[in-house]
Amino acid sequence: MFNASTFELLVSSFPKILEYGLKVTLPLAVISFLLSTVLAVLVAMVQYAGVPVLRQLCRFYIWIIRGTPLLVQLMVVFYGLPLIGIHSNSFVMAIIVFSINEGAYSAETMRAAMEAVPSGQLEAGYCVGMNYMQIMWHIILPQAFRTAFPSLFNALISMVKDTSLASSITVVEMFTRTKQIAGQSYNYLPLYIEVAFVYLIFCTVLTLVQKKGEKLLGSYGVRK
Amino acid sequence: MALLEIKNIYKSFGENDVLKGVNIKVNKGDVVSVLGPSGSGKTTLLRCINFLEKADKGEFIFDGKSYDFSKISGKEIAEIRKKTGFVFQSYNLFANKTVLQNVTLGLTSARHIAKNEAEKKAMEVLKKVGMDTFKDYYPSQLSGGQQQRVAIARALATEPEIIYFDEPTSALDPQLTAEVLEVMRKLALDGMTMIVVTHEMGFARDVSSHVIFMADGNVVEEGSEKEFFENPKEERTREFLRITNKIVNG
Ligand SMILES: Nc1ncnc2c1ncn2[C@@H]1O[C@H](COP(=O)(O)OP(=O)(O)OP(=O)(O)O)[C@@H](O)[C@H]1O
Ligand SMILES: [Mg+2]
Repeated sequence: MFNASTFELLVSSFPKILEYGLKVTLPLAVISFLLSTVLAVLVAMVQYAGVPVLRQLCRFYIWIIRGTPLLVQLMVVFYGLPLIGIHSNSFVMAIIVFSINEGAYSAETMRAAMEAVPSGQLEAGYCVGMNYMQIMWHIILPQAFRTAFPSLFNALISMVKDTSLASSITVVEMFTRTKQIAGQSYNYLPLYIEVAFVYLIFCTVLTLVQKKGEKLLGSYGVRK
Repeated sequence: MALLEIKNIYKSFGENDVLKGVNIKVNKGDVVSVLGPSGSGKTTLLRCINFLEKADKGEFIFDGKSYDFSKISGKEIAEIRKKTGFVFQSYNLFANKTVLQNVTLGLTSARHIAKNEAEKKAMEVLKKVGMDTFKDYYPSQLSGGQQQRVAIARALATEPEIIYFDEPTSALDPQLTAEVLEVMRKLALDGMTMIVVTHEMGFARDVSSHVIFMADGNVVEEGSEKEFFENPKEERTREFLRITNKIVNG
């Protein structure tokens, strides 16, 4: 199976696979991740502040999302949205589902990180005359974000791999593209190993970015 | 006219009645020491006065305006807080901000003062507490005494009419305690109005103009510093002074 022609196939398909990785898989993961983080912060803040009604709504959202498989969520949106008159391309639908899905998990991460900020920080903010939103923005969220950063970044790395599920709703991302190439050559295993390798590269780079990011965010002079 | 007056403040946590009708009056320039055994409600009193805890009832008079503790609005609280400062036992410096930012934040964010002006003011108060050379440090890089002095600078920067201190030195060793007390002594000389919950008898004696002695949620005795220490009227006060003297004098 691993002969000269296989080697040639691997070399010639590498740029094609990588192209879809850079053009589809990474943007899908990164955009979804950024949107999910915004959503997570909002949902976490609602719970942290204990906003009535909205708080229950947030719990409901987290309950639904964490209790159902991502693949099923993709299907429900893919077949459901057109029924209520929303026609969108599958890439956008994938972003919506991934954002909403990851948002539920990251919201819990953010909430825990916010609750880990000592209450004295909030009280000190009040005592210098700041209002709730100012304290959130300058004190609580930055500290919580620093705590949550490694977990959030973990989520991004998971997301890069989970984007392969988007193939189920016709998004041609890196994995689907690999399947197509493999189908033409009937040489599946080497190509699947190759795409695994590309995922691995992506995640390795992201891990390095995470390290850099943690340094950049600093630890407020805490000696380690 | 009194700057601050508390009339009949009540506060309970569930079944536990912590403040049972305390009255306090503070004139401009007064340094009021609040003494009392552990659990007598001193912290709760300060926290209620700055609305970190919601008192059950009582009257709050500040700057000639009267408020009902149980009915005061968030907006009124915010306005009052802009004229007061609070120094915590555990400093509570903003962990993600440098010394300088800790002091400027109340000016730039809460009062919309321009950054360069805020920094000028911040350096001025940091100099006053002897922490100007540490302006770029993070709280975690400072000793407890240094953190507490920055916390005092943070309270000073907003030019409050009164500063509340809750056992500002009880987490510090004697030398660091002396550093912080020295700063507070200077503030008193500058005429800053202060309410200081403290176990430092020396400070209460030397610096304060009035002393309040609390026990079980009541003010047992109050008076000028001189009256209080030289001629206490209540048996409970005499007992307290005897015990603390014993501790101080070994
Ligand atoms: N958040 C709270 N919830 C429940 N009970 C509380 C709370 N804060 C204080 N108490 C209770 O109120 C009483 C008075 O506490 P407080 O902290 O005001 O005493 P204190 O005079 O400051 O004591 P210390 O000298 O030890 O600081 C105590 O019985 C305490 O258990
Ligand atoms: Mg106390």
